[in-house]
Amino acid sequence: MDGMGKGTVTPLASLFPVEESQKAAKRVQDTIAEKEKELDHLRVFIADNNNLINLVQKLPEELHHDIMVPFGKAAFFPGRLIHTNEFLVLLGEGYYADRTSKQTIEVLRRRGKSLESQVNSLEAIIKDHKAEASFFIATASEAAGGLVEIREDYVEENPSKQDLKSGPLKQDVSGLAGAERETTSVDDKEFARMMARLDELEEEERAAERGNLDDENEGAISDFDEISYQRPSDNNLQNSEDIQRRMALKQTNDIATKFPKEHKYQDDMADHFGSLALQSQVRELSEGKTMAKNLKNSDASEMSTIYPEEKIVHATNTSKAEVQYQASRPSDDSQKQASTSSTVGHADHTQRNSRKEDSTSSQVGCQTSEPSFDSRRAFTGSIIEHAENLPKTSGEQNSSSSLVSGSQPSKPVSRFKMQRR
Amino acid sequence: MDRLRQEKILKFEEFVDQRLKPDLVRAIAERDKVFEQQKIFSDLRRNIENLEKSSVTSLKTLVNIGSEVYLQAEVPDTQHIFVDIGLGFHVEFTWSEALNYITQREERLKRQLEEYTQLIASIKAQIKLVYEGIRELLQLPAEKPFPERTF
Repeated sequence: MDGMGKGTVTPLASLFPVEESQKAAKRVQDTIAEKEKELDHLRVFIADNNNLINLVQKLPEELHHDIMVPFGKAAFFPGRLIHTNEFLVLLGEGYYADRTSKQTIEVLRRRGKSLESQVNSLEAIIKDHKAEASFFIATASEAAGGLVEIREDYVEENPSKQDLKSGPLKQDVSGLAGAERETTSVDDKEFARMMARLDELEEEERAAERGNLDDENEGAISDFDEISYQRPSDNNLQNSEDIQRRMALKQTNDIATKFPKEHKYQDDMADHFGSLALQSQVRELSEGKTMAKNLKNSDASEMSTIYPEEKIVHATNTSKAEVQYQASRPSDDSQKQASTSSTVGHADHTQRNSRKEDSTSSQVGCQTSEPSFDSRRAFTGSIIEHAENLPKTSGEQNSSSSLVSGSQPSKPVSRFKMQRR
Repeated sequence: MDRLRQEKILKFEEFVDQRLKPDLVRAIAERDKVFEQQKIFSDLRRNIENLEKSSVTSLKTLVNIGSEVYLQAEVPDTQHIFVDIGLGFHVEFTWSEALNYITQREERLKRQLEEYTQLIASIKAQIKLVYEGIRELLQLPAEKPFPERTF
């Protein structure tokens, strides 16, 4: 795992000192005891209330009851209860009400209900306190047991995440971080491979296309790049990224082999997915700059490509077309990409980016998160796989293309179409 | 030598805090109870004297049957009154007998009060003594009973 040495090991005892946690636990338990006493009080009240209800029910049965009437605290008078159906009930704040037995019972029942709600709330409070106390006790025991908190930096490819899980599950956290780092490193390797491949392709394209579409492509590509780059942010970067990564890998592998075949494939694909061509072009970006050009031509389609997942497929299709195109216009793309790079922010991959933008309007989403990846993503998707997604992407493309169409000149696309058709 | 002193001081303080002070608190609580009893009986006496004065034969009262719910009650004959003489016994008295008893009871209560007051005073004195001892050990200046006045 990477970053093993970057971790910090802190004994749990230092974060939660044993004595303090024990003291805290005791404090909470004292509070619990108090609340329980109050709870007992309330329960006594409720019991008294119920007894009173029974008494009030029985009293009206007789006209008079012989009782000992208290006189102060220490003396009684023998007497009788009269008017046994008339009860004087204290309503609070010095207000009394004369009520009959039935009415008094209702009053007492309402009182009982409010008492019970008080009891319930008290019980809930006690429960919370108990949970707190148990947590403190557990922490105290853990700290005493010498549990250790391990923190390791979670290093991704670019951003670095901090795993801040404390508690006994440190190992899991560090394991996760390590695993993530591993996948990142694996992706890096693929990325490196893809980049190398892209470089080769670009060289080829530049050589072939020098001077063909300088003017047209530049404008279209630059515009498109910008737009497509903006698009990706809207799309699900995550999905597109993953897909693009995988695609990139495949594309880099496929580019060499498919290059001669791509043209034909692209033709077929392009026919089917005129709009998708843009998408595929985006993919092709990784393979070559033609993608960008294609994308620009098919702005509308490219728009849909903005949605990364689907677009990858399209990109592959278009990429094929673009690949060939790229060969013819390597220089143009690079130029346009350069302009777009400013927007994108990746001088290295401006060319790729521009292409990608077109096709990977969706991919761009992924790319924006990782600009260096964007160009690669465009070419990473396998063309064949994406073909299935074309229908979906076409829909997306329309929406995306609408956004892009305004800004994108269709130079690369038109040229591509010219060549293909 | 110092350590010994510190230990002694600590022991004295502990003694005061754990034995004398709680004793004091308990004595004061008991005395308060006696005060209450005294008040009750003095109220009762006053009431009986009032009844006698106004020659009341029957009473109508409101009896608390619990949770502040009152019932009307009638006392047809107020000549006989049952007084609590302690240990759960009530004795039927006439008014004059009741007054007599109350007088005796009040005297007894007064004596109890005096005892408690003395006890409390002695406990307080003991606490003061221990404090003085600590002060000597610490060689702090003795407390002056009155603030010094410079002329």
